Amino acid sequence: MIELGRWVDLGGLEPRARWSARLLAFAVLVLAAVVVLAGRLFQLQVEDGRHLAALAQLSRVHKVVLHAQRGIIYDRHGQQLVINRPAWTLEIVPYMLPVAEGQRSAELSWVAHVAGKSPADLQKQVDKSDGLTPIVVQRDLPDQQAEVLTERLPQLPGISLQQVPVRNYLDSTLLSHVLGYTGPIDGEQYAKLASQGYQPDESLGRAGVEQSLETVLRGKDGWANTVFDAQGQPVKVLKSQPAVNGDNVYLSLDLGLEKASDQYLQAEIKKVKVAAGAVVVADPRDGEILALDSYPGYDTNLFTKGISNAQYKQLLNDPGHPLYDHAVQGEYPPGSTFKMITASAGLQEGVITAGSSLNCPLGMTFGGWYYRNWAGYDMGFMNVDYAIAVSCDTFFYQVANMLGPDRLAKYASAYGYGTAPGIELPNVSAGLAPTPAWKSSICSGPPTSWQCTWSLGETITYGIGQSDILTTPLIQSMYISAIANGGDLLRPTLVHEVDTASGTAVSTAKADVVRHVPVSPDNLNTVRQGMHECMDNPHGTGYWFRLAKFLYDGGCKTGTAEFGSGANQPTHAWFTFFSPFKNPQVVIIVLVEGGGEGDQVAEPVALQIAQYYYAHQAQIQGGVVK
Amino acid sequence: MAIRRRMARFWGRLVNFVRLPWYRRLSQSQLLLTGALLGIGLATVYSAIASDLRKQLISATLGLLVYVAAAFLDPKRLLRATTGLYIACLLLLLFVRVHGHSALGSQRWISLGGFQVEPSEISKLMLVIVLAKHLGQPGRVGLRRVVTACALAAPPMLLILAQPDLGTAIVFGCVLGGLLFVAGAPRLQLAALGAAAVAAIPMAPHFLHAYQRQRLEIFLDPSKDPLGAGYNLLQARIAIGSGGVFGAGWLHGLQGSLGYVPERATDFVFAVFAEQFGLIGCIVLLTLYALLLLSLLRSAAIAPDPFTKLLVCGVALMIFAQVVENIGMNIGILPITGIPLPFVSYGGSALVTQLAGLGLVQGLMLRRRLVVHSALRSDEYLLKLTA
Repeated sequence: MIELGRWVDLGGLEPRARWSARLLAFAVLVLAAVVVLAGRLFQLQVEDGRHLAALAQLSRVHKVVLHAQRGIIYDRHGQQLVINRPAWTLEIVPYMLPVAEGQRSAELSWVAHVAGKSPADLQKQVDKSDGLTPIVVQRDLPDQQAEVLTERLPQLPGISLQQVPVRNYLDSTLLSHVLGYTGPIDGEQYAKLASQGYQPDESLGRAGVEQSLETVLRGKDGWANTVFDAQGQPVKVLKSQPAVNGDNVYLSLDLGLEKASDQYLQAEIKKVKVAAGAVVVADPRDGEILALDSYPGYDTNLFTKGISNAQYKQLLNDPGHPLYDHAVQGEYPPGSTFKMITASAGLQEGVITAGSSLNCPLGMTFGGWYYRNWAGYDMGFMNVDYAIAVSCDTFFYQVANMLGPDRLAKYASAYGYGTAPGIELPNVSAGLAPTPAWKSSICSGPPTSWQCTWSLGETITYGIGQSDILTTPLIQSMYISAIANGGDLLRPTLVHEVDTASGTAVSTAKADVVRHVPVSPDNLNTVRQGMHECMDNPHGTGYWFRLAKFLYDGGCKTGTAEFGSGANQPTHAWFTFFSPFKNPQVVIIVLVEGGGEGDQVAEPVALQIAQYYYAHQAQIQGGVVK
Repeated sequence: MAIRRRMARFWGRLVNFVRLPWYRRLSQSQLLLTGALLGIGLATVYSAIASDLRKQLISATLGLLVYVAAAFLDPKRLLRATTGLYIACLLLLLFVRVHGHSALGSQRWISLGGFQVEPSEISKLMLVIVLAKHLGQPGRVGLRRVVTACALAAPPMLLILAQPDLGTAIVFGCVLGGLLFVAGAPRLQLAALGAAAVAAIPMAPHFLHAYQRQRLEIFLDPSKDPLGAGYNLLQARIAIGSGGVFGAGWLHGLQGSLGYVPERATDFVFAVFAEQFGLIGCIVLLTLYALLLLSLLRSAAIAPDPFTKLLVCGVALMIFAQVVENIGMNIGILPITGIPLPFVSYGGSALVTQLAGLGLVQGLMLRRRLVVHSALRSDEYLLKLTA
């Protein structure tokens, strides 16, 4: 029949299924496994489903900051003074770095090498971080390095290059004090400003207009909820709010006039071999500053990148103090330019009149001390306007003597001495109008000593702008503008117009009267006449203007202010000027620090500036060209 | 007449008196299920990494050809070739050790004409065939046979452990244990084997490479290293969970497509699937696998001889172990090993091997045979026919 072990072909007959116990057990195991797996899936997808979906969303979607562009600063005609240059910042995102130790350290050391840092430092930074916040490795990468990195970026997980706008100042040295610079926010500032939305690695204005108009220029960052893939590449934007760019500021400065002023000032400073000086050109009708120059300046672009210690030391040690704004911060004795205040006070207080005639000898004695005139000869009797024109010291000694320090201080304060002008710059100096009360309040020493009691000599020299009086070129411009425009002390302003990023005007400059000087129109006219004579009278200290064939009329006053002590004292050279005489449009203040005689050193500079102004008058007075 | 009736009654216990044409003899359910799983697998691979689809399609085509070829294979020939297959596989595994390419810390592949061939996948099927032949020999499965079975399984298993490929070694272990169980090894011996395996678990970390040990640790506490090794686990879970009940829709699974799920076409392709098709899709997939396995078990139940039965059970065990381990590790109840999900994971060798195994099953199903033995047990196809 059929042998053992032989195959028998059933020819298509189907055997019956014989489920052994073990086979059944296997089948049950299969079913049990399915149930267990399904149960766990239920747990994950139904119970924890929403939570896990939210986690998924969290890891995928991040809020990306859309940086607002900082507002652009222009001069009054729309010439751009600053650009937002795109710069590359190298960042590491720690949680995206490769996990394998060897790959991780290889990547970090390569990045460190490219960025010029030590790998050990970088590793420390990464270890210290919380894993999620990006670490800035280097700002403002040179373009070449940025290119190299961009090429290799896909093979470098965790490394990213961010494009950030960086301020680049055109004419950085010329406008260094006006514009200032932006720099990274420091710890304590961040603590105060974080509530306003500042990021810890943001830049903000650190000096000049950048600092004082920070809120105007800054704009508001936007955000975008972006979906990222596992490589950190953005895939899609879900919701976003665009950034609002900062407002653009049109300064009242005329760039041409500023350049010219700086040029002339620089030439004169080098000629007399001193270190520093300042020029202020203002419009006495509305207080707009047409030129504000302090020499020497410094390269603000160095600060935006991060200045080296060596360079900073160099700036600090420069005898001209480039970091110091001489026009706005430098406090100097006004010298003879103060005489218009003495005259105003004398006229207004009635101790002299327009017609009063006082002697101008070569010297006078007060309280036992002999005070000289600058001229080595008697000038005879004169009235106040001639005294201003020829800058007679002894005339004004007498007037000061009659007035006393308190009244002089009152008028000095009225003309702006002792109050910081409200110009849009930080750290503006206030000058000083001293009084006996002031002196005794600040003195160090016994109350009866010479340090604490006011002496007659101080009153005498008060009249000619010496002793403890201090002014700044900016305050001088306010004071001369007040005389020029008939008595309105105007707030000086650097801002001509502010526009939104799209071009609509937010605010335009208007004359802002701080006070009306308490001098009657007639008295003021007398003082103005004195300044007019300064230029037109052959004996006037400003007559050089006529000799140089200056065609326009106006008023001027020289100043040669002594400072320091000892024989052969150096003097600051001042020159003040306004023009035309009726309805003045321009006020020019020139200061050459330690330069010598006002009429010899400061006057030529003012003459050149005035000639430039008139040559380009229509242009300068013209409005914004957008 | 009486003899005919007696014969009919006798045969009737063993066969259904129905003559079926060849296409009815095929296990149609297995064909359908295989086709469905393959289709789902290809769609999922495409949704994970679109560029992988091309190679997977080529592998699938090759696999289907192998399927047909295996169905036509004469089982007698297969039995004769077993020894040769065994040696060939051992040689391949040795070759991999010497010349293999490494990925993810283990040396697994040989490059053959642009394709990566994983000998460890092929050796799974080889082990099934070898053990089926060995344990399917006539006679009781006693201690000797159990020991020799283990001895047969040991060399390839050790070679695979040395790659190191813990996952495949575990599948080997499951196949060995399962086949011994189904073949009828005494319960005591099975229990002893099981106890030995359990006792080896604490010792196992010493034999594991650092990264495998780390995987175990992370499995036990994924929050230990959320940015590192635990990352895989968490991302897979997040992707699965975010699928919810209905899933995000085909090609709308963001976690997968954006690359947050690591190994998204291979080890964690289930997570990509789950994110797109949700709980419902997962239950459907699990059901398909379960039905396939049950269909295979039914084929084992009607298998005419022990070799066939064990072969079919072995193929079923192979698939079962891999499905459980892969889905288990995706959902976080089992440690991470590099096991592919059958029919779905991107990987030519695994796909071709599985299709080859299923093709063999079909082939055996096509040839309904009875083997004549002498024995009295009811769970063996014994037919004592005297003259």
